[in-house]
Amino acid sequence: MKYKVENISFATLALILAIIPLLLELNLLAGGSTVIFIGKCMSYAIVAIGIDLIWGYTGILSLGHGLYFGLGAYGMAMYLKLVSTGGQITDFMHIGGLEELPFIWTLFKYLPNTLFFMIAIPALVAFLVGYVIFKNRVKGVYFSIISQALTWAVYSIFISLSPYTNGNVGITGIKSLFGSVKGDANRANMYLLFYVTLGILILTYVIAKFLTQRKFGKILIAIRDGENRTYFSGYNVCLYKTFIYVLSAIITAFAGAIFVNFNGSITPSEMTIEFSIMMVIWVAVGGRGTIIGAVLGAFIINIGQYNLSSGIFVEIWQYIIGAIFTLTILFFKGGLVGLISEQSPILIKKFQQKQEQKQEQEQKQEHKQTKQKSEQIIITKPKEV
Amino acid sequence: MNKIFSAIAILSLTLMTGCSGSDEADTVKVGLLHSLTGSMAISEKSVRDAEVLAIEEINATGGILGQQIEYIEEDGASDPSTFATKAEKLIDSENVATVFGCWTSSSRKAVKSIFEDYGALLWYPVQYEGMEASENIIYTGAAPNQQIIPAIEYLLDQGYEDFFLLGSDYVFPRTANMIIEAQLSDAGLDIVGAEYADMDQTDFSAIISKIELADPDVIINTLNGTGNVSFFKQMSERNYTADDYMTMSFSIAEEEVATIGPQILTDHLVSWNYYQTTDSIENENFVNSYKSMFGEDRVTSDPAEAAYCAVYLWKAAVEKAGSFEVEDVLNAIASSDISFNAPEGLVTINKDNQHLAKPVRIGQIREDGLIYEVFSTSAPVDPDPYLNNYDWAKDIQSFQ
Amino acid sequence: MDQFINTLFNGLSLTSIILFTSLGLSITFGLMRVINMAHGEFIMIGAYTTYVVQTIFTHIVPEQFQSWYYIVAIPIAFIISFAIGSILEITVISRLYGREIDSLLATFGISLILQQLARTIFGTQGVNVTAPDFLFGGFKIGTITFSYNRLFIIFSVIMCLGLIWYIMYRSAFGKQIRAVMQNRNMAQCMGINSRRVDNITFSIGSGIAGIAGCSISLLGSVDSTLGQNYIVYAFMVVVLGGVGNLKGSIIGAAIIGFASIFAENYTSATLAKAIVLFIVILFLQKRPQGLFVVKSRNLD
Repeated sequence: MKYKVENISFATLALILAIIPLLLELNLLAGGSTVIFIGKCMSYAIVAIGIDLIWGYTGILSLGHGLYFGLGAYGMAMYLKLVSTGGQITDFMHIGGLEELPFIWTLFKYLPNTLFFMIAIPALVAFLVGYVIFKNRVKGVYFSIISQALTWAVYSIFISLSPYTNGNVGITGIKSLFGSVKGDANRANMYLLFYVTLGILILTYVIAKFLTQRKFGKILIAIRDGENRTYFSGYNVCLYKTFIYVLSAIITAFAGAIFVNFNGSITPSEMTIEFSIMMVIWVAVGGRGTIIGAVLGAFIINIGQYNLSSGIFVEIWQYIIGAIFTLTILFFKGGLVGLISEQSPILIKKFQQKQEQKQEQEQKQEHKQTKQKSEQIIITKPKEV
Repeated sequence: MNKIFSAIAILSLTLMTGCSGSDEADTVKVGLLHSLTGSMAISEKSVRDAEVLAIEEINATGGILGQQIEYIEEDGASDPSTFATKAEKLIDSENVATVFGCWTSSSRKAVKSIFEDYGALLWYPVQYEGMEASENIIYTGAAPNQQIIPAIEYLLDQGYEDFFLLGSDYVFPRTANMIIEAQLSDAGLDIVGAEYADMDQTDFSAIISKIELADPDVIINTLNGTGNVSFFKQMSERNYTADDYMTMSFSIAEEEVATIGPQILTDHLVSWNYYQTTDSIENENFVNSYKSMFGEDRVTSDPAEAAYCAVYLWKAAVEKAGSFEVEDVLNAIASSDISFNAPEGLVTINKDNQHLAKPVRIGQIREDGLIYEVFSTSAPVDPDPYLNNYDWAKDIQSFQ
Repeated sequence: MDQFINTLFNGLSLTSIILFTSLGLSITFGLMRVINMAHGEFIMIGAYTTYVVQTIFTHIVPEQFQSWYYIVAIPIAFIISFAIGSILEITVISRLYGREIDSLLATFGISLILQQLARTIFGTQGVNVTAPDFLFGGFKIGTITFSYNRLFIIFSVIMCLGLIWYIMYRSAFGKQIRAVMQNRNMAQCMGINSRRVDNITFSIGSGIAGIAGCSISLLGSVDSTLGQNYIVYAFMVVVLGGVGNLKGSIIGAAIIGFASIFAENYTSATLAKAIVLFIVILFLQKRPQGLFVVKSRNLD
């Protein structure tokens, strides 16, 4: 039953996303930039699924997934940059004193290679990090802080190796895989990119669902709830954890690569600790341990930020977002989805009770009716959310 | 519980819908895109304030082409990708006529291709490293030949020989130092050392020890933001004043002097195009209205002044073009001299590279926290972002 | 030789700063297993308090006593961060016991709120805290300058360490803290009010962060992002040293402090940071629970 509701919700969301370009054509949206922004949100939603797999299901809190997002994004950006320079070396390499294309860039000269290394490099890093750490049975907060340190270290390296990475500025001025997506003239490219991304989001959802609904998913949850017990039951916990961690890194790297296509640039800011924590917050707010929750969280937080971090709202937005984080963690451990799934049965029950009461009361007193109606409105409204 | 639930429902509705500006016929929308949160908010706030001041002034005197300016403010959150997203939102969804914004080179580079792709117009108000001239950006801050090169020339004239280059680890210091090294080697000098600090470095003791070892007589300082505060405070911990190590800074304006502490910075040199003490009627008015709008304790600075100019130059260009359309405005800029009697003196947009011709001033910090001019060019200096007029810069140009 | 002593002094001074900023965190993490992401903001509160006290002094105190502002600021910074810490413990932290990871995320939200609060009150620009006369500059031996402020920080850290050591190991309250730390349920059975112990310990941890903020305000920029610069190193120290262990924290801070200074002598600051972080990561592979582990037969 629960799974069914989740799948239906996701299908609805996918349908809404699918008709967004249509809305633009009908002039119901402010502009093409909205579609591009929703595209970025989809890449964030993919990241959120990756985080949810390791945190929500397996209980591994990574505060450094920006690392994998960045690795994937830089891989794609290097390819796209080489497309725009025609395989020649870039201006920042010149300034850095390089005469020819560095080896690491030559790996990203062609699309098939790019797609391979874009996944292989983050996967390898995740495997090395994950295997060693999980083998040593580092867990909980210790893992989180190590992942933080790692991301920070790689971030520093990306900044200091500016001839290769262009330091803080990052790789800018690139077009998407399908050509430019900006402006009215390039709408066809934009739609193509948008639907490919939607396809990848759906695929990621299906993979995540496939894994978590099987025995494999149950073992992950077992690790989360009692790692030592799972260990003593004869499961190779380290292997399971490493596998899901690497998978999560690959998903995140893929999302990074998609993000670059929409954004047209990548900077080390996407590898910071703050951004990595934000990723976790999306999942926490949406609802950890449910894939749909992660996806919803990514959309809600980012759309909120997009609309409210401007003008006079900037100050208020910082308070709101801080309060949302804290309150969600404190009181609604299941996030938005948990809240709805917990509350809706109670609400339905209450609604029924109220209706019965109402019928009784209708017969007795008529003047109390108005007050109750207003109460019902408050109660029934969230059901539609 | 029900109350919390409904509160969340209402909140989520607000999140989704957001806010949208009014669409009155007699207003023209412009975008302001700066970091109001995050690590760059420290610097960008004053620039944003100067832009708001100019807009309010123009509105009070009848607006542009009979239209009032309505500004839409977005927060770049000190993150280049957020800048990119927000720039796109301003241009495409809010349909603003132009955008005033950015501070760091990384944010400018992230939005540059967006402005080019959409054919929109950005006014960038901060001195920077040059080597760029986008058709869709008007650069109202100094190019290297209007800040860095004259400063080094001044130091050479004063007889300084041992130069130490200190900067933050990002594109402006790296490019600036490349230019400085080329310029010094043309003068037959070598630098005695170069160090790059981390962007959020808080402890400079190792770097200061390296400076002691190299024993320069002047430090060229291209640190930015909070790094400056830490560096100078920690220099003063070791009793160093301008007598021991003179510094020439490119990112310290009046605002930074106030946060670092004037007594620490006394006698150190800076290079800009404008100071609060610049002697002109325009500047007197600017300083007075800035203070009356944002508080007596606020100071004006070069970037703030450049941002203030940007709004007035846009007004001049729009009036010349007789239209708010970006294409017409750019045509007006390319075909005629758009100039403005700015607080710093007369500034004119260069038709070819869209930088400003502006006067150069070397200043010295005094104990009252203000900067006083010790040298200035008699006439505005033409911008030369690619350093085409300098023979010694051939190597740097070939990189383009 | 001079060069070497200079490096050692730099290292010692960085160590003391890192230790100062992480002391409070290591106490609260050790006792309550709560990771406080808003710890950096308590440092910020201390720094802003110093600024406020300084501003009040310039208005009401005669010129010759101006420098005393700093002496006054230290206890006030402690009291204010103590009070805010106490409020935070009651409203938020107390609901997060046994939820290490959740506490980290919830306090991240608090840290955003506190940062914005600082921006709302003091503006986005930084504020200027001037070193008092008696801490301004330094004295010279040979070619090396020993800064009064750095020496004062080292002195303050030692004082704080002494104080914490006394509270933890020589006072009745310290016994209660250690009892709760070792076995919360058993301690409660023995009649210890663990709620009170938690609250006071967390507040002390926050208060020490406030004092650290006082010192740091003389070293660098005082603005809303101040705490962010120190928080990650503070975490590293706590993790390196092992939970709830003063000795571990000292050694952890020393590893990071000296490694940073030595690495920076040979390479750029950015790369030095990466090197130090890798050292920490590798080290934790060998000793996942940190340097000093409180032995326990507990298993989940």
